[in-house]
Amino acid sequence: MQYHIEHGPAFAWLRVGLEPEERIVAEAGAMVRQSSALEVETRLNASRKAGVFGIIVAFFVALLRRFLGGETMFVNEFWGPRGGEVVLAPKLSGQIMKKSLDGTRSLFVQRGGYLASSSGIDTRVRFGGLRTLFGGEGLVLLHCTGAGDVFVNSYGGITEVPVNGKFVVDTGHIVAFDGALDFRVRSIGGAKSFLFSGEGLVCEFEGRGTVYVQSRNLKALVGWLAPLLPS
Amino acid sequence: MRHEILDAPNFGLLALTLQAGEKVVAESGAMVAMGPAVSVETKMRGGLLAAAKRKLLGGESLFQNTFTARESEQLLYLAPPVEGDLRVKELARGEVFFLQSGNYLAHVGEELVLDTQWGGVRSFFGGIGFFMLKVVGPGTLFYGSYGAIHEVPVSAGGYTCDTGHIVGFSDGLEYRVRPFAGFKGLFFSGEGLVCDFEGRGTLYVQTRKAPALAGFLHPFRRVQQRGN
Amino acid sequence: MKFEIQYRPAHSLAIAHLEAGESVRAEASAMVSMTRNLAITTDGPMGGRGGLLGSFKRAVLGGETFFTNTFTAQGTAGHVTLAPTLSGDMQAIELRPGEPLYIQGSSYVAAPDSVELDTRWQGLKGFFSGETLFFLEASGQGPVLVNAFGALETLELDGDVIVDTGHLVAFGAGIEYEVTKASRGWIASYLSGEGLVLRMRGRGRVYLQSRNPKEYGHAVGSQLPPRQG
Repeated sequence: MQYHIEHGPAFAWLRVGLEPEERIVAEAGAMVRQSSALEVETRLNASRKAGVFGIIVAFFVALLRRFLGGETMFVNEFWGPRGGEVVLAPKLSGQIMKKSLDGTRSLFVQRGGYLASSSGIDTRVRFGGLRTLFGGEGLVLLHCTGAGDVFVNSYGGITEVPVNGKFVVDTGHIVAFDGALDFRVRSIGGAKSFLFSGEGLVCEFEGRGTVYVQSRNLKALVGWLAPLLPS
Repeated sequence: MRHEILDAPNFGLLALTLQAGEKVVAESGAMVAMGPAVSVETKMRGGLLAAAKRKLLGGESLFQNTFTARESEQLLYLAPPVEGDLRVKELARGEVFFLQSGNYLAHVGEELVLDTQWGGVRSFFGGIGFFMLKVVGPGTLFYGSYGAIHEVPVSAGGYTCDTGHIVGFSDGLEYRVRPFAGFKGLFFSGEGLVCDFEGRGTLYVQTRKAPALAGFLHPFRRVQQRGN
Repeated sequence: MKFEIQYRPAHSLAIAHLEAGESVRAEASAMVSMTRNLAITTDGPMGGRGGLLGSFKRAVLGGETFFTNTFTAQGTAGHVTLAPTLSGDMQAIELRPGEPLYIQGSSYVAAPDSVELDTRWQGLKGFFSGETLFFLEASGQGPVLVNAFGALETLELDGDVIVDTGHLVAFGAGIEYEVTKASRGWIASYLSGEGLVLRMRGRGRVYLQSRNPKEYGHAVGSQLPPRQG
């Protein structure tokens, strides 16, 4: 697979050249243009190893979240007998980075940060805190394991922060982090702060590993725009 | 305290390193990440009455956060909510700078004064009109823009700018807010207001504006179910 | 009249430099700032100048109907600065007589009088998405300023390609298009999230933007407080 990240750092897109029969899985709605020779198959974003029960659970959880937050739950898989080219783009402005996994390390990617992955990568949804399931706050994470490439997009630029000890990040600013890090979601500081400070929840990281921080936050944009909207 | 501006001009990110006891005041919602020894205190801006008056007129948030480092070499990352540039302005004692309220990000220096000024004209569609912060030094001011910042040296002949596109301007310029002569599209393309400048000074223009984005997004909002 | 574009590619600002007496016609919400010596007139779809016909449909994005303002420098040279609603690039595409350009409604920013604009109702509908397309035909000669949500890619097409129309800015004459399925099967195409997808075929230029306004609108809009019906 040849890949080119073009038009970064503000509006990056991913141009992928597929060999014959080679496959790439992408978030639904990400296609910009593709060779007419490529086939497209749409399926649920369930773990490849998930049995029927796993798929049913994923289906209902995704339905619930879609009802609450409007997130897509389907992925498109592109391949062709002669190969071809497909260009994929995220929804928000920002950068794209490739992370390669070799089967020994894992990567957590914030739900909106997943763009695409090669076959061999397994993704499973995890929630960082109970509130997440219903409140829309907190962290919805994709746990990526296996061997292959994961293409991650950010809202804004990406700053790599090597953590050795403790570090606190607003949950909306997390792109991805090493699977080796411990993490805990909490409110920024006391009940009053949570209600008034404008900071929603933060994630406290501990251990050794890299946290990828994005320089923009969708919740902050929403909060900033809300007073400008009419009813 | 050290500061570094990252990811500008696309997604300006302010990286501060605080020493023990140092403080930064920031717009509510600006915190991106911080070291473990930074405390956060939430206060109403300027006290309850002043804050309430400001909320009704100025539209910026009621609350601000004060970050204090308990130990040295603490990292604090702050960001504006919208994509664009981020700048720093050091103000000498008594130096004045006019800044659009929505562009304020943070400041250092307990003597820095932020005072709301109203442009004096309601928007054509009955909206709140145009507000600026009058910032008076001494202190360090951090502000953002929606889009890039285009500097216009104003001199003889004057200049006119859509109010939504104004980031700020230097002292010494006379300004007058009025409705735009042409057609500005439907309500959400903007307030329909422009600002005429005269005198000598610098005008900072941002290349995108918030009301246009709000107008673009409005049809994509979910519709409230009746009886909810 | 000359377009100068700064702060490319993400936060572009176009400066339309006008000699005394020269005009530029810009989409209504595009004005950022200007010198004080410009006269302004508004052109609408009902009468008004330059070929805007009476019947046209609202653009998909934001529902804005198509209005323009004409800025004319009086007495001395002047300029007006222009920007679209969303972040991204702008480019002045040089039109030659006999080679029209078809521009997505929300991608048009400005052009001088030597460019004729004609609204066209394409009537293209996505099979499930209900998405419709609104194109302008720009003909004549001179620079046409278009915007892109994100970066602008100029694809020199010789053959065919499948395109998500949300990423389509403009295309030249010599390109044919037909609506096609995004995925294998009709239900899958609905679920694929792609909306209206075209197969474009021929020889010519296709201009694409690296972000999709509809996807962006849903991603952010769905998080905003709900509105009254």
